Amino acid sequence: MSIESAARAAVARPEPRAGLSLRRLLDRSLGLISFVLLVAALEAGLWLFGVPDYVLPRPSQIFLALVRGFAPPILSPSQYYVNIGTTLIEAVASFVLGSAFGTLAGALIVEFRSVRRLALPYIVGLQSVPKVALAPLFVVWFGFGIESKILLGVLLTFFPLLINTAAGFSAVERDRLELMTSLKAKAWTTFWMVKFPSALPFIFAGLEMAAVYSILGAVVGEFVGGNSGLGVLILNRNAAMDIAGSLAALVILAVMGIALQRAVAFARQRVLFWAPSNDALDTRDPE
Amino acid sequence: MIAAPKPTRVDAQPPGAPAIQVQGLVKTYRSQREGTVRALEEIDFTVADGEFICIVGPSGCGKSTLLKILAGIVPHSVGTVLVRGKAPRDADNRLGLVFQAPVLLPWRTVLQNTLLPAQVLGLDRAASQARAHELLRMVGLEQFAASYPSELSGGMQQRCSITRALLHDPSILLMDEPFGALDAMTRDTMNLELQRIWRESGKTIFLITHSIPEAVFLADRVLVMSPRPGRIIEEIRIDLPRPRDLDTMSEPVFAEAVRHIRRLFGIGAQDRPHVD
Ligand SMILES: Nc1ncnc2c1ncn2[C@@H]1O[C@H](COP(=O)(O)OP(=O)(O)O)[C@@H](O)[C@H]1O
Ligand SMILES: [Mg+2]
Repeated sequence: MSIESAARAAVARPEPRAGLSLRRLLDRSLGLISFVLLVAALEAGLWLFGVPDYVLPRPSQIFLALVRGFAPPILSPSQYYVNIGTTLIEAVASFVLGSAFGTLAGALIVEFRSVRRLALPYIVGLQSVPKVALAPLFVVWFGFGIESKILLGVLLTFFPLLINTAAGFSAVERDRLELMTSLKAKAWTTFWMVKFPSALPFIFAGLEMAAVYSILGAVVGEFVGGNSGLGVLILNRNAAMDIAGSLAALVILAVMGIALQRAVAFARQRVLFWAPSNDALDTRDPE
Repeated sequence: MIAAPKPTRVDAQPPGAPAIQVQGLVKTYRSQREGTVRALEEIDFTVADGEFICIVGPSGCGKSTLLKILAGIVPHSVGTVLVRGKAPRDADNRLGLVFQAPVLLPWRTVLQNTLLPAQVLGLDRAASQARAHELLRMVGLEQFAASYPSELSGGMQQRCSITRALLHDPSILLMDEPFGALDAMTRDTMNLELQRIWRESGKTIFLITHSIPEAVFLADRVLVMSPRPGRIIEEIRIDLPRPRDLDTMSEPVFAEAVRHIRRLFGIGAQDRPHVD
């Protein structure tokens, strides 16, 4: 360490805030910096080795494909906007419906022994079927429109919610229930005041999974048979050997997935302010 | 003070009737591992209205089971159990219950936790609010009414669980080692506080403890239980004047009662004060 830098360090020490905030800035921009480096390396590498576009296009070409796709004004019947709209509607609809049914079913199964006896064998059976294998049948039964995709998405999101909700209701602290029993609370009162809030952390874990599955359901459904959506766009671009266009659609799907997940995380933070976060992938600053 | 904001009492009963009557009570649990477990054996006792009863006994002797039977949480197997002349599960028996852990709902503020019984029982909102604030003031939590349980210390949380148990002004308070998790100083303070609440409110208190001095300090009568299957092996009336304070603990009567109970458990008088 030079005398000069030692002196600078000594001067800097009385104001740890400046150093800290610089480090924090670095820490926060780490993701962005590494992304930029990665993209630059890819661009240079693919160009240097002369990899053909129809095998793996350069990032700049994917970017250009995105620009071309989004260029037409919003209300024009551009491929992009229609396809994005279709997939988004399918994903959100299956997320909402599948989560609602899954939560309801999970609660009913734990709360009522007769429902459990009646439904559990079917649920276990259905759960062991790979749900995407049903996609071709759904297209036959419900057509090429969004209905078949929404139903596939509902089937995919239903189970994580059912399983997590059931686990949440089973894990309610016994003392909390005994407290309500000592007050001779009605079953319904105990449900709303104690059981449901206690199960919410589990339910949100299920919602986070459902956010991913809902998009998966939409795209797989579109692959199998559809006339609109990002899955259809990917198939079309592939057929035209336009790999850059295909990857551009993938980028949009990724952004859509992240947006849905962030929406769930935001809701979780609002609703579960009282529960410690158990998100191992949480990169926010511990405050 | 505690009876000031008016008519929230939901369970008035004819004067003179015993608060709790237990006759020939037997409780067996069916468990997966051990088959049937006999937890309580031929329990008989009566608690007069307004009496302060403490239960001591070794770990696992069935103290919590007995309390849960009285609270209507767990059914008993054989015998008669009457709480205010009715079955423990009767909808009229809405007792105050305090556990060793505070068992507060983390999504509710201190005030909302205190108001839980009012919501469950459908009591008048305004009157309950006033009473909740009064109770929180009494235990020194009025500044924390809007705080969440995670923001409080263990002792403060336990005080909140006591305000919750008192909110609907139950005539009987059941407490299962309520101060077991607190440090010695907080515990002394809480004991004095509880005695004051009891004297001012005229409630019947049924308190489980593993501290023999605590039992002797608080109780009119100490019921001593045997190891499992739990039976009541002795009832000891504590004839110390009220209100008792920390000086009471140095009186000969106090020391004699503590020594007597320790001997029942086969502990030498020089031994540690705790049974388990
Ligand atoms: N739900 C239960 N199922 C089976 N056995 C139980 C159950 N609850 C308590 N027991 C048994 O009953 C006995 C008394 O337990 P408990 O009342 O908790 O004792 P204490 O409160 O005096 O420590 C113990 O041996 C315990 O294992
Ligand atoms: Mg116990």
